[in-house]
Amino acid sequence: MSVGLDYQFLVKTFFIALSGVPTALIITIVSLLIALPLGFLLALSRINRIPVISQLARVYVSFVRGTPVIVQIFIIFTSVPLLLKPIFEEYHVKTNIYDINPIWYAFIVFSLNTTAILIEVFRSAISTVSKGQLEAAYSVGLNNVQAFRRIIIPQTLVVALPNICTATVNLIKATSLGYALSLKEINLRAQVAANVGYNYIEAYIDIFLVYLLLCSLVEYLFKLYEKRVRKYKAVDA
Amino acid sequence: MEKYFDVTYIWDTLPQLIPFLKVTFMVAGLSVLFGTILGFILALMKLGTSKIAKKIANCYTTIIRCTPSIVLLFLVYYGLPAIASNFGTDLNTLQTAVFVVITFSIQFGALMSEVMRTAYEAIDRGQFEAAVSVGLSPAQAFRRIVLPQAFVVALPNFGNSFLELMKEGSLAYTIGLVDIMGKASLIISNNYNSHSLEIYLGLSLIYWVLSILIEQLFSKLEKIFSKGKQLIKTT
Repeated sequence: MSVGLDYQFLVKTFFIALSGVPTALIITIVSLLIALPLGFLLALSRINRIPVISQLARVYVSFVRGTPVIVQIFIIFTSVPLLLKPIFEEYHVKTNIYDINPIWYAFIVFSLNTTAILIEVFRSAISTVSKGQLEAAYSVGLNNVQAFRRIIIPQTLVVALPNICTATVNLIKATSLGYALSLKEINLRAQVAANVGYNYIEAYIDIFLVYLLLCSLVEYLFKLYEKRVRKYKAVDA
Repeated sequence: MEKYFDVTYIWDTLPQLIPFLKVTFMVAGLSVLFGTILGFILALMKLGTSKIAKKIANCYTTIIRCTPSIVLLFLVYYGLPAIASNFGTDLNTLQTAVFVVITFSIQFGALMSEVMRTAYEAIDRGQFEAAVSVGLSPAQAFRRIVLPQAFVVALPNFGNSFLELMKEGSLAYTIGLVDIMGKASLIISNNYNSHSLEIYLGLSLIYWVLSILIEQLFSKLEKIFSKGKQLIKTT
């Protein structure tokens, strides 16, 4: 085992790891775009106790929160081809299922996962807004959509934002498991580079640094946004 | 053609996996133990008067929170023996479980320090002052008045962190620890990757049941310990 770090390799691999950032960010953004509205709607269904959907959402949340992300990844990765195969054969789609870009699996896994977490986040956030707010909005003549868009959602957002931030950071961290899908993100790129000369320590230090930079940046941006959203609250009150 | 999906495989894997829960629990238990000690020290640093200690503890928490567990796991797994070899000790023969416990203690410590800090800050300062004013020493006031109340506040978060730890612990299979996740991937590679879906479903079933049980346990515990709180309020 080598003593001391190979600094040249350290610097070189840092940029290799950095080149995986766009992949991680795309997965994060797409998953959030799917999960935010879906999570909000399902949270509403839980609060209003809409039959069937509410129970399904409950089981779904419990399952996703109760199992490791890596197991979820493996389940999706092995089940989706099985499900798609008959459909593809039925409609004579020429694409080979096993040639699909792994990023699609990543989108499925991480948006399903984030949806479950956001359901809980929104559920607790919506329940902090008092019912009087909605009634007041109706009484001044707003319809349902307007009441939610102008009154409920802005207030919910203030409460939910710190938790959404945590969920986002966790999501970014979870994309490091994309290696299981042979997805070329930060982790796998650096690992592959390290395979040549067994420079695993340097590679993992680089991955560590990249995630540290990425997550602190995201946390900082959320803090800024939170300040802006909160300002409204101060003016209102 | 062979059937792609066979439900019986799910039931067949369960008895094979369940004995390995022991390893999962052992790793999780030890990490909780060491992590809680570390978290307590970090929480003391955060609540203390020393500005440098506070900075260090906050930095530590931020860094750990921003690191994926799998990266931390590999950093410890490859990094510790390398550091140790500089001092002439050989850690390569150490069991993988040790590295797993170290990794998750580091992570759990960061989580726990935040849980403890928020729990301590949730208790009104007046409680402590009232206790001191009736003649308790500061140590007594902390032990008899502040701690029991902070404990109740911390309990649900502690439960969540514990669940999180158990789930993240599944990643230990990547460095070759044979817990239930490791056993599942061994079974799959023995089967030449066939029926992996059923085995993963069986595995997720175990995790699911386990986390529901733990959740129930913690909500029971919370009820038991909050009872005292209500009594104080009513009398």
